[in-house]
Amino acid sequence: MSRLRRVRAEATAATRSFLRRRTAVFFTFFFPVILVVIFGALVRTRPGGGGLFAAPAAYYVPGYLATVVLFTPLSRIGSEIARHRDDSRFEKLATTPLTRGEWLAAHTLVNLGVISVASLLILGLVVGLTGATLPVAPALALLVPFVALAVVLFCGFGAILGRVADSQDGVIAASNTIALPLLFLSDTFLTPSLLPEWFANAALVSPLTYFARGVRTVTFSPTGTDLPAPPLGTTGNLAVLAALAAVFFAVGAVAVPRTE
Amino acid sequence: MTREPVVVAEDLRRSYGDTVALDGVSLTVEAGEVFGLVGPNGAGKTTLVRALTGTTSVEGRVRVFGDPPAEGDRSRVGLLPQEFAPAGRLTVRELLGYYAGLYDEARAVDAVVDDVGLADTADTWYEELSGGQRRRACVGAALVNDPDLLFLDEPTTGIDPAGRRAVWGLVESLSADGTAVVLTSHSMTEIERLSDRVGLLRDGGLVAVGPPGGLVADHAGPARLVVEPADGTEPSATGGDGGQGDDGTTALADALREAGFTVTVGDGEVAVEAVAPTEIGAAVDGLDAAGVDYDALTWTEPGLEDAYLRLTGEAFEGLRQPGASVVDDPTDADPGGHGGTGGGNTGEGGGDETTEVEA
Repeated sequence: MSRLRRVRAEATAATRSFLRRRTAVFFTFFFPVILVVIFGALVRTRPGGGGLFAAPAAYYVPGYLATVVLFTPLSRIGSEIARHRDDSRFEKLATTPLTRGEWLAAHTLVNLGVISVASLLILGLVVGLTGATLPVAPALALLVPFVALAVVLFCGFGAILGRVADSQDGVIAASNTIALPLLFLSDTFLTPSLLPEWFANAALVSPLTYFARGVRTVTFSPTGTDLPAPPLGTTGNLAVLAALAAVFFAVGAVAVPRTE
Repeated sequence: MTREPVVVAEDLRRSYGDTVALDGVSLTVEAGEVFGLVGPNGAGKTTLVRALTGTTSVEGRVRVFGDPPAEGDRSRVGLLPQEFAPAGRLTVRELLGYYAGLYDEARAVDAVVDDVGLADTADTWYEELSGGQRRRACVGAALVNDPDLLFLDEPTTGIDPAGRRAVWGLVESLSADGTAVVLTSHSMTEIERLSDRVGLLRDGGLVAVGPPGGLVADHAGPARLVVEPADGTEPSATGGDGGQGDDGTTALADALREAGFTVTVGDGEVAVEAVAPTEIGAAVDGLDAAGVDYDALTWTEPGLEDAYLRLTGEAFEGLRQPGASVVDDPTDADPGGHGGTGGGNTGEGGGDETTEVEA
């Protein structure tokens, strides 16, 4: 009960703080929306036409979801750590019973809430604006653990970034530098045929690859296209993502500053 | 059976590159004791607080309630860091509720809000409070778990006099109930009023520890009477001349010597050391009998600030013996460490008791 009480207190305070920063709220949701509008509605997909966005619209669902699953935790957790450190909040928290793992769990929960809402918004826009068809099947419910595990993973990653970067500016620059290549080179928007063969192995290093491939297994069927089925399948990608989430969360929790 | 001190620190050392922040500091703090920490900027006060709270690593041994600070019962400790800024868009009530939620048992939030005098602004966002109100909210966050050991790093910075006194009252009340308090401050009035013992840090080392009264008696120097010549006499270019100058000090010095006092002549002033309040009348009578005019006569009883200035070597150049230098070493202290005309230190920054008589 004590642990739950502490996590709830931290999460409640963090949620209130976030919701009262209207600019942050607006751009958290506006960023993925503008991405869907630009890539999905203005550029439009041209199935079979070659080049970028040549796959069916549903192929890109993992990419759109990846924008919030990747960018939001990296920048929010990283910035929050930098802000806490600058304002001596960790120094204060170190003398309370709240542990670093509990702090990260609380902020991960807040991100999970924010990203869940943003993900629903994206799915609605993708279906409404791009004409993507999602298979209505029980397997679609697996989107929930995929998104949740990815959020946990990238919150841990964000904590590591926040620890390493020495300022809020540094966190934002670092998260953008890391997230942008990950976003486009993790089997999200670019089909494997558009990239050099050797890059297929390089993509395996990116944790986002397992999210994208796993989500694609439940949101897109390659039948009738020349696109390959994602390696590892749903269960395999989910398992790898879960393992990576556990590792990144554990490392991230240790990385949350405790001392000056 | 002897009760273990709440805080035990032995031979604490910490350096940042070539800068020594702590240099062999040892101290104890007992239950119900207010231990004041004073020292110049960069003396190591905040590093020492961090060492005692386990928020920085140091060489040496620290025990809080018998355990290393990072491993002990955190619900018994409260901390107000020096440059602490909590989430700006939480109300005072939400902020204190948040910190209360981190403990299994905490005080009623509204009671703490009342204690720090923020009942009228309890539903105002922290970032919309004034500087002093913010600091009071932060004090509340340190008290919300009803700690047995409380660290307050400059708690009243930016707080108005009424709010300051409210915080002082809280500290006194907590101490009376058995809470040990480690208090750092640049306000000698605050330290002198609240502290049972004072530790004076300089260059990372504790140069003196003791009750405020003891530090004043041992290190602050004697009470002094300073007399300023009447207007119209120009100070000599070379300052004190042992009574041979033509800036009006010669006549003053002669009159006071005639009255039986030992005097020191400085830049346009004459000082008499170790003057009891009952002797002021004799000095005035001596000046009147000699027919010497003077503009002001100021009697100053030294306070904790004088002890601080002398022990930290921060005494500024003022009235002093001819040829004497500013205090540089507490073991080689010049009794005329503080200076200036018109009574030196008063009120907030001071701790001196000053009486000024306009002629």
